[in-house]
Amino acid sequence: MASGNMKAIKRRIKSVGSTMQITKAMELVSSSKLRKAKEKAEAGRPYFEKLYEMMTEIAESKKDFTSPFTEKRDVENRLFIVIAGDRGLAGGYNSNLLKMALAEGENGKNPPKIIAIGKKSIEFFEKRGFELTGRYPLLAETAKTADCADIATIAIEMFKKGEVDQVKIFYTTFVSPLVQNPISMDILPIYRDEDGEEVPSLITYDPSPEAVFNRIVPKFTMSLIYCALSDSYASEQSARRNAMESATDNAEKMTEELSLKYNRARQEKITNEINEIVSGANALQ
Amino acid sequence: MTPFNLQILTPDKLFFDGETDNLIVRTTVGDKGILARHEEYVAALPIGKLKVKLNGQFRIAAVSEGTVKVSRDKTVILVQSCEWADEIDVDRAKTAKAKAEERMKLAEKNNKDYLLAEYKLKRAINRIETWNMK
Repeated sequence: MASGNMKAIKRRIKSVGSTMQITKAMELVSSSKLRKAKEKAEAGRPYFEKLYEMMTEIAESKKDFTSPFTEKRDVENRLFIVIAGDRGLAGGYNSNLLKMALAEGENGKNPPKIIAIGKKSIEFFEKRGFELTGRYPLLAETAKTADCADIATIAIEMFKKGEVDQVKIFYTTFVSPLVQNPISMDILPIYRDEDGEEVPSLITYDPSPEAVFNRIVPKFTMSLIYCALSDSYASEQSARRNAMESATDNAEKMTEELSLKYNRARQEKITNEINEIVSGANALQ
Repeated sequence: MTPFNLQILTPDKLFFDGETDNLIVRTTVGDKGILARHEEYVAALPIGKLKVKLNGQFRIAAVSEGTVKVSRDKTVILVQSCEWADEIDVDRAKTAKAKAEERMKLAEKNNKDYLLAEYKLKRAINRIETWNMK
């Protein structure tokens, strides 16, 4: 009985060991990808911040202009841009975000239209019967601004035509290597602080504030999506690295426990054998 | 001439950050020269070129859509993409041009594909032109 048990334990040690090799490798891959992803996410930030600054400046300096992008409507139809990963094994990265988007989606009057970025996001919403306006698998890692411009154009067109009254984006923000939070953000319409005082400004807008504003909005939307995508990708790598790190730790602990069990079983077997020999010798005397 | 600070930002990097004394940009309403102590000014930029005077010589760059903002102490240009004339990958631009023309022939006029191809064609032509001016 003991030897059979020993064999089983040995097999388990081996399988846990090979799993550990895989998780360890994935951990290393994710940490190197994370470094690159973080650099990319940080490189895009200054552009975005300057653009935002410019937009709020125009909005504050002139209260009376109208733009299709600032028009508030009763929200009936919504468009969600949901960014998730292409692969699993990243802890709660995908499920946390998708659950949040789903909960919001079920809240409104009509189910939202979805632009899904990442295979996991596509699968999730397809399975639940949502209307997918756009499918973008395998985008996050190699995302270029041109891809985000396409998505932004689709969203803006739908908003302008009145097919949707609100555009929201769901993504995961990278707070620290240990903390990534799923968040949502309104893209359109752009809210303005209507009660705020008009700040007189000496800036000349060429040809007019409206024209400049309306030209900035698509760029703003595009770079918002781009930033969210880079941010999400960094979060995904970080989440995967953490998940794989704890998997490796667990595997190590398990191997230790199993070796202890194995050694106990081996000792027990030897003791039994000695017992048998001794009792056999005793019987002969 | 008095120098002023110029920053050119694209979504993926800080393209240029330094001093210049003369900047010429093409806005949606025409060319605009900017010197130090220019009035505060904001304009939209189409796909086009810009010239920056560095060490007494103009450098030309190809830019695509964005905005220019002149404030008291500095000038900021936000564009989708920006390349110096001598750094343009002209072969890539030529391939892009051919591809875009092909796609415009196939696509119906004014549908989404057509407009996208047209936009790409404009960018490719702008790059080739800029490269020829280096």
